[in-house]
Amino acid sequence: MSTGSAVVLHEVKKAFPLHGGLDLEVLDVEHLELPAGSCTVLRGRSGSGKTTLLNLIAGIATPSGGTIHVGDTDVFALSEARRDRFRGAQVGYVFQTFNLLSALSALENVMLAMTFSDAVPKRRQRQRASDLLARLGLAERLAHKPHQLSRGEQQRVTIARALANSPALILADEPCASLDARTAGEVFATFLAVCRQEGKTLLLVSHDEDALGGADRVLDMAELNRAGARTGTA
Amino acid sequence: MSILAVALKYLRARFVASALTAVSIALGISLVVASALLARGIKESFIAGATDYNLMVGAKGSPAQLVLGVVFRMDLATPNIEYTSYQQLQQDPRVEVAVPVGVGDAYQGFRYVATNSAYFASFPWRRRTFKLAEGRFFADDPPSAPTYEVLLGAEAAGSTGLRMGDRFYEGEEMAEYPLTVVGILQPTHSADDRAIFLSLSSYWGMNEVARGMTVKPLTAVLIRPKRMSDVPSLHRELNVSAETQAVLPSGVLLTIFNMMAVAEEVLTMILAIVAIIVLLYVFVSMYSATLERRREIATMRALGARRATVLGIVLVESIALATVGGVGGIVGGHAVAYAAGLLLERSGLVTNPLLFNVIELAVLAGVILLGALAGLLPAVLAYRTEVAENLAPLS
Repeated sequence: MSTGSAVVLHEVKKAFPLHGGLDLEVLDVEHLELPAGSCTVLRGRSGSGKTTLLNLIAGIATPSGGTIHVGDTDVFALSEARRDRFRGAQVGYVFQTFNLLSALSALENVMLAMTFSDAVPKRRQRQRASDLLARLGLAERLAHKPHQLSRGEQQRVTIARALANSPALILADEPCASLDARTAGEVFATFLAVCRQEGKTLLLVSHDEDALGGADRVLDMAELNRAGARTGTA
Repeated sequence: MSILAVALKYLRARFVASALTAVSIALGISLVVASALLARGIKESFIAGATDYNLMVGAKGSPAQLVLGVVFRMDLATPNIEYTSYQQLQQDPRVEVAVPVGVGDAYQGFRYVATNSAYFASFPWRRRTFKLAEGRFFADDPPSAPTYEVLLGAEAAGSTGLRMGDRFYEGEEMAEYPLTVVGILQPTHSADDRAIFLSLSSYWGMNEVARGMTVKPLTAVLIRPKRMSDVPSLHRELNVSAETQAVLPSGVLLTIFNMMAVAEEVLTMILAIVAIIVLLYVFVSMYSATLERRREIATMRALGARRATVLGIVLVESIALATVGGVGGIVGGHAVAYAAGLLLERSGLVTNPLLFNVIELAVLAGVILLGALAGLLPAVLAYRTEVAENLAPLS
């Protein structure tokens, strides 16, 4: 992979098997590099393969072909268990639908991410989670359960959780899509500021003007995904 | 945060469902434990009550009725035998101890048991010892001068409220023969706790028919031979008589235990069905809980949790439920056995339901194992949860 790239995809394909032995190819990316510390926004029509691309980079979906490097690691050369551990430590994921665990408080949701990796020593996990939430303006909401938080607050918790292990790469799938415009603007500004301060590489799926304006680069799935061009979905 | 903490937080988050599952396990285990405790207690109570004496002589009739009536005061008393039977046995060189017993009416449900001081004497072979809580034993008075003194069993004293020195009788016809409390026994955990003991002379004196009889009546004679080898000959000789029969209490116990064994088999089958139902309940509870939170499981996987970790969380949850239910079931089982024991005491059987048995640890281990088994399929479901599929945005 190229020096200075946080993520490199090469000839990455993703196909889903159909009945009758046929495959439906949904993603075909010839080459993609994300420079370390950059902010890249990915946009495209619904079903164009944006989430699939993020899932592949995170290692939670398996490509049908090609290679994906995150840092110096060939993600799919790792066994599944090692890939899980690698993802926990090196990749932060912000979901559109937050996906906070309902049984846990805001603080515990952030600590949970640290439970699955060795990135932060056990004795420092509570403090780290607490600091992150305070930084995102949730110092008074540590003990609140997700249902006791507003949507904007829930998304801030999700961002804190993605940053918990200090991963080099943050993936965000339409993080502000389910927020109103004002809240989305505030959340996104905070998110971007924190990522910039910590030198994170950010790959963001968004159609939000704030996101597009703050990005170093905007990629259009219609151009990136050759499979989409063939099927007309990109 | 540990896996255990995550699992416990999940259990707490669905508190009502978790509590209901644990309670259902506890109820099932309570039944198992209470049944085992009561079955053991009943057997021990039978053995403790009936095996001090090798032979029992009473009127011809049902051997079981004789043993149950005389030792446990459970059945109707058998017809009487003559006091001379006792006197003859007392003179028999093969007999070490012969104890006359007359089982009479009752005062507030507590049977009069007439006997002599030999009944309370200590012998090396006796399982039970009688100790006074208060007062003294009644005197072995002559038939010509009954003292009408009584010694109360611990429960008889507690339930009737009779105290030292109290005089009492039941029914106007007995007003002429009031009994006086001269002693109260410490608990013996046997049917004797529910007895009102008095001398044979007092017993005969209270009874209008017996007063007029030249040869006084008895219900039975308890016999301890000097040598065990004399038991068969005594048994044979005493059974030749047309009026009396000699019974081996241990043989009667065997008959009773054989009858109990059939009931125990049926009970075991019922308990097995209960265990299966409890197992299924845990399974359904855990399975639906796992299905409901596949998205959260997928989230954990996306955060770096390995398949084995999410499997472990679900297993820990079901094991925790089984442990809480199992411990609750053992405690509940003792409580149920205690309550049932109170009812059994009225039948003359005194169990000891508070006694902890090491087998209960095996029951608890079994419950935990079954809990793990019930949680296994839901855990595998969590293990096999595909992350990307289950993280798809909600429509």
